[in-house]
Amino acid sequence: MGRKRIAACLSFILCLALLAGCGGGTPAGAQTGAKDSVVVVMSPTSEPEAGFDPAYGWGAGEHVHEPLIQSTLTITTADLKIGYDLATSMEASPDGMTWTVTIRDDVRFTDGEPLTAQDVAFTYNTVKSASSVNDFTMLDRAEATDDTTVVFHMTRPYSIWPYTMAIVGIVPEHAYDEAYGQHPIGSGRYILKQWDKGQQVILTANPDYYGEAPMMKQVTILFMEEDAAFAAVKSGQADLSYTAPSYGDQQVEGFSLLSVATVDNRGLNLPAVPRSGDVGNDVTADPAIRQAINLGLNREEMIQNVLNGYGTPAYSVCDKMPWFNEDTVVPYDREKALFLLESAGWKAGSDGIRVKGGVRAAFTILYPTGDSLRQALAADTANQLKTLGIDASIEGVGWDVAYDRAQMDPMVWGWGAHTPMELYNIYHTMEDTGLAQFSPYANAQVDATMDKALRSADLETSYALWQKAQRDGDAGISADLPWVWLVNVEHLYWARDGLTVAEQKLHPHGHGWSIVNNVDRWSWK
Amino acid sequence: MKRNLLFLSKNLLKMALLLLCVSMVAFFLVSVSPINPLQANVGQTALGSMSPEQIQKLEEYWGVGQPPVERYLAWAGDVLRGDMGTSLIYRQSVASVIGQRLQNSLWLLVIAWALSGTIGFFLGAVAGANRGGIWDRLIKSYSLITASTPAFWLALLLLLFFSVWLKVLPIGLSVPIGMEASAVTLLDRVRHAILPALTLAITGVSSVALHTREKMIDVMESDYALFARARGDSNWRILRRHGLRNVLLPALTLQFASVGEIIGGSVLIEQVFSYPGLGQAAVAAGLGGDVPLLMGVTLVCAGLVFLGNLAANLLYGVVDPRMKGRESP
Repeated sequence: MGRKRIAACLSFILCLALLAGCGGGTPAGAQTGAKDSVVVVMSPTSEPEAGFDPAYGWGAGEHVHEPLIQSTLTITTADLKIGYDLATSMEASPDGMTWTVTIRDDVRFTDGEPLTAQDVAFTYNTVKSASSVNDFTMLDRAEATDDTTVVFHMTRPYSIWPYTMAIVGIVPEHAYDEAYGQHPIGSGRYILKQWDKGQQVILTANPDYYGEAPMMKQVTILFMEEDAAFAAVKSGQADLSYTAPSYGDQQVEGFSLLSVATVDNRGLNLPAVPRSGDVGNDVTADPAIRQAINLGLNREEMIQNVLNGYGTPAYSVCDKMPWFNEDTVVPYDREKALFLLESAGWKAGSDGIRVKGGVRAAFTILYPTGDSLRQALAADTANQLKTLGIDASIEGVGWDVAYDRAQMDPMVWGWGAHTPMELYNIYHTMEDTGLAQFSPYANAQVDATMDKALRSADLETSYALWQKAQRDGDAGISADLPWVWLVNVEHLYWARDGLTVAEQKLHPHGHGWSIVNNVDRWSWK
Repeated sequence: MKRNLLFLSKNLLKMALLLLCVSMVAFFLVSVSPINPLQANVGQTALGSMSPEQIQKLEEYWGVGQPPVERYLAWAGDVLRGDMGTSLIYRQSVASVIGQRLQNSLWLLVIAWALSGTIGFFLGAVAGANRGGIWDRLIKSYSLITASTPAFWLALLLLLFFSVWLKVLPIGLSVPIGMEASAVTLLDRVRHAILPALTLAITGVSSVALHTREKMIDVMESDYALFARARGDSNWRILRRHGLRNVLLPALTLQFASVGEIIGGSVLIEQVFSYPGLGQAAVAAGLGGDVPLLMGVTLVCAGLVFLGNLAANLLYGVVDPRMKGRESP
């Protein structure tokens, strides 16, 4: 019987070997001689589950980007000002209640039909009624007055409308239905060739594109978790992949780390009113505390400790945007911070923690549970504050309670949108409470300046007003400091050697489609 | 005929009751989960640049603030009419999302399930028949190690070994990177399913093997086995004549009960291998607060597990004709 048993074992091993063997053959290389295609890995959350339909948020949302498959009226330029794609001119009426945009007349959809102002009006009326992700409450309706002119009737003045126009892809009225997002037709640089849901998107260059012909003829985008994405790089099956700072010290043969500057910031809200009910904080209500925190935090050290060096210090919610005021930048000055605290009456107690009028300089810094980066930033901030005599403990909270808790305690937030509306919503008061939405703060002057910015008829004027809201002589947001900004997180990618990734504009919050905004201008050496 | 009808209706009733309970528990869990669907799907940053009117619109869409009981009743009413609703994330009907995903998952699950069953049974029988021997010790330690190995970790190890070092198998997905759908062959699909199926099978083997081994030891120590030995039967003959036959029934139960485990395991495995199956959709729905989809996936999985157990019940009669009279009324 022994022989039989051995035979059984051998055949079992043979079976296993066969099983492994049938996977043999040539490994599927991403680069088989083709020099005009590229394989890019993004996180699974980047997949537009609802399809490539602007009405369902394609191009918009958390991570704004160019829709690639469709054309837009405007685009954001390298310095995040406004340029033209389909538009040839745009003008707001003096009261800001209508926008008139003329478009080029030589553009065709990839099914051969011409793109007209009717398509533009149809697109905006559609996204307005669906309004599933992006905000279109400022738009009343869009109307095509002839083939190349479209008029937007607004519900309120909205000077930064061109930033909204930069993310809305124009869809063809004749080929639009509920399922458009599954097989989109556009007039952009690329055509959606194939979408294997939950796995990959294959884009090919639009041969009839009205602009410069794309240099990359095929773009394959994979959606993978961080570990799998790294494995794809190590096995050489991807050309470019997102990664996290924690992988920054790894070496991969044939790849180098590409670091992209961002406005993807992290900052703390400091409730600027004393505690009353469930709103406010008695410690951070003191301006001296807020100023001392802003001056006394060593942001460079934080970047080394938490981000392995892949970040830049942040001083506002909109660093380096056209509406950013450079006067908000304050150099690290520990001595001045200590002096401010002392002269405001915050004296060190027996345990080294400062006390003023019976109030201990102590509070909790919140972070969203599961966000290790924000947790690390909270911990590093708490450590640094301790040396200033401020006792901060840290606590993780779920998003179901985070918004309410942040009305009383500082929390680590992440922002960074390509629109000044963010600045507006963080610092402007709400009608019902008279305080700002995310953290209690009110300054009538700031409110008035930002309202004026929204009402102004041209962008340049509005930029100046947004800047004035941040700093106006000795006043403004950066004097009140209801928020203190910590870092801008750089976005990291593994890029295959030989791949030239075109110059990137500052990325917004989140690791997503922004990297391929200009994939048509990438090339292989 | 009448008896069969009775059997069928009794089981259908059982299944309906099961699905009702499962859906109620699942809905309760979803309603107490700390996930804020707006936060998860729209994102804090996007919400930050929106007007309050827009946020209110979105809250309506995602069902924030709606009383859970009211939501449940509305949902259950639709399901009874055969409408599983529309997925909030995918914006397609839940039935079509599940249909697409199940197609991908199903053969992964079937391969893994068949592999783990046959290999597990074989190993368990060998180990039990040679209790204390070298094979027993090897198989036992193998089973104990894999039983305590987290499946996703094993998946990562296999991924590193076969895809990154040896480069013989793809790193994930169910089709080759950048290949046109019409050019994808069956062989391509098989190659992409090997690693996920193998991971599921390896972790699934241990429980089947260990249980079969226990049962086999019982059989080998029984009086009739002793009698057979005294009669001069060889070990192999006892195994074949008494062991396998008696072990088959519990093994079958176990095998069909493991349908649930395999489905559960696939949720994590599909994440690691970027495999577009039901598990991936379940995770997306769970983390994104997509209640209709999550409930749909839960119901389908519960149904599959129930059908697995039902199949075991039916097969008892086939394997052991003595049970026919007793088991099925």
